[in-house]
Amino acid sequence: MSTLQLIGAGFGTVLTPTGIFLMLIGVAVGIVFGALPGLSATMAIALFLPVTYAMTSSNAMTLLMALFIGAISGGLISAILLRIPGTPSSVATCFDGHPLVAKGQAAKALGLGVVFSFLGTIFSTILLMFLAPQIAKVAINFGPYEFFSIAIFSLTMIATLSSGNMVKGIIAGVIGFMFSTVGTDAIESTQRFTFGMTSLKGGFDMLAVMVGLFAVGEIIAAAETSHHKSEEVATQPSMKGIKGFGFSMKEFVSQRWNALRSAFIGMGIGILPGIGGGTSNMLAYTVAKNSDKHPEEFGTGRIDGVVASETANNATIGGAMVPLLTLGIPGDTTTAMLLGALTLHNLTPGPLLFENQAPVVYGIFAAMLISSVIMLFMEFFGLRVFVKLLSIPKYILLPCIFVLCAIGAYNLKNNMSQVIACILFGVIGFAFKKFDIPTTPFILGFILGPLAEQNYRRGLMRTGGSFLPFLQSPISLIFLGIALFVIILAATKPLRQKRKAAKAITAS
Amino acid sequence: MQFKRYKDILFGGVTLALSGAYLICATQIKTRPKLTPGYANAKIIPLLLGGLLAVLSVMCILQGVRKMKDAAAEKQQDKAGKGDLLTVTLTFAVILGYIAILPRLGFCLSTMIYLFLQMLVLAPKEKRNYPLFAAVSVGFTAIAFVAFRIGLQQLLPRGLIESLLGF
Repeated sequence: MSTLQLIGAGFGTVLTPTGIFLMLIGVAVGIVFGALPGLSATMAIALFLPVTYAMTSSNAMTLLMALFIGAISGGLISAILLRIPGTPSSVATCFDGHPLVAKGQAAKALGLGVVFSFLGTIFSTILLMFLAPQIAKVAINFGPYEFFSIAIFSLTMIATLSSGNMVKGIIAGVIGFMFSTVGTDAIESTQRFTFGMTSLKGGFDMLAVMVGLFAVGEIIAAAETSHHKSEEVATQPSMKGIKGFGFSMKEFVSQRWNALRSAFIGMGIGILPGIGGGTSNMLAYTVAKNSDKHPEEFGTGRIDGVVASETANNATIGGAMVPLLTLGIPGDTTTAMLLGALTLHNLTPGPLLFENQAPVVYGIFAAMLISSVIMLFMEFFGLRVFVKLLSIPKYILLPCIFVLCAIGAYNLKNNMSQVIACILFGVIGFAFKKFDIPTTPFILGFILGPLAEQNYRRGLMRTGGSFLPFLQSPISLIFLGIALFVIILAATKPLRQKRKAAKAITAS
Repeated sequence: MQFKRYKDILFGGVTLALSGAYLICATQIKTRPKLTPGYANAKIIPLLLGGLLAVLSVMCILQGVRKMKDAAAEKQQDKAGKGDLLTVTLTFAVILGYIAILPRLGFCLSTMIYLFLQMLVLAPKEKRNYPLFAAVSVGFTAIAFVAFRIGLQQLLPRGLIESLLGF
């Protein structure tokens, strides 16, 4: 089938009464999860995974993609109205979004955020539709050398992610890798670190780990401050007399280059494993500010700031799906959860997915496009409802979320073992917060560890113990070279910063 | 404040102990020399990881010692707010209690008890609304049971209420 035929098949898969219903529900719930501080896109997907068990793979992915898109975009609601980002992807939206509310331009801020979120998603999804199959065609020829090198390259992103706290970040990654070694060894079928327990023979389920770390850990952390914080109340923005989406065509056109640049930044960040919307929105905002003629105006209510942040964070969605679908490597924590969902529905992400399950893959692309359109209208015109939901107290919301997490974990193996694992990882997630340890490297280590280990060992067995063939494969050499460069760059950053500071002192 | 001061040293110490335990267990992993050669057996990567963690733990401890000497860092740490340890401990206790009673009392009863107690623990004293919490506990449990057990045909721990309802 040609690409256009596949796109048509994808739309055909999704545009059914069930599919449309699932997208409407998914986007609405996703916006709620994105808007409520303390909840996230990852949590939304974790909670709805058990709901998808009985669905077809196509319907399941439709629902989960709608949740993803709604949640990433929903963060702008509390970022603009409360100055509290609903998700890490909307931190930079606060800087200029809230000042616009103070100026009486709440509708404009929200309208710009929603429209450019939509445009960011559409841009990255269209690029994804044409880029991913080409990467898959190349990746189908990858062997153990290439997969090992890509896994190592992805793991070294931990070093750049944690550049402020590199040692702790790498420790988290190593601990995640260590947890992935629990269970039956895939090559020798020997038991590792199971201590005779049957429930550990299959290792820790990725979903139990993710749900525990992100949802349960968050709930336990919220307990620490639940008696201190007074709940912020979002004021209903006045929508009277507002035409269209609250801004003029002139303002829209003035943002075209800012939006395009931010979309490329978001897409690029999304493709790099381990970095997600949390970084792309800040980077896009910083670039927009630094390249403006009046950077001092940023933070006082410049629409450029809102546009940069929201375009980038939504463009990251499409970017993060590229390594997930083509290589089985998640671009960020939410796509790590989607990796679990794909596996649950017998869809093995990687180059063969495009050959064996093309209609499902193009159905995912179609769901992303249609969900973006639903998000555009639902978020802006349904704003009053979402703002009301912001007033639900956390002490009521979080226990209910924990119960949903427990149901999801129980249904993984229909026994209590994964519920206990979920809580164990919740404790680890809480401990990580207390010791200022980033959790993303842990997840990357847990997911990529087995990929790196198995391909390393298979590669060595093929070569009789020689590492040379790993360096003789061009793709493998490139990724290992970049990995080494990244490690050196991150390790020497403090030294370079010291030299820069010393030069600045000498110059003054 | 003492915890913040020694945070990195404590974390480094814990991970150093973890790496030691992991390495000891790694040396006891059974391998199949007839199936896989020594350089690619099931022990190799765990031994590498354990060694790497030990090195990183020592670096973390040294980092912590350096930070302790930094007076400016200490001032910044003083400004950070104090967490509510009692609420965290009670939350843990309620969660562990829920896990303990879930297979014995079944989903419905355990969840209603858990939700009620957890809301009481998390809510500030002046916001404790017993009738509201009771209503939310029963209501949410009923909705979750109907949605997952009846709607999605997913198994949930069976207890008294489930037996009475015929599930």
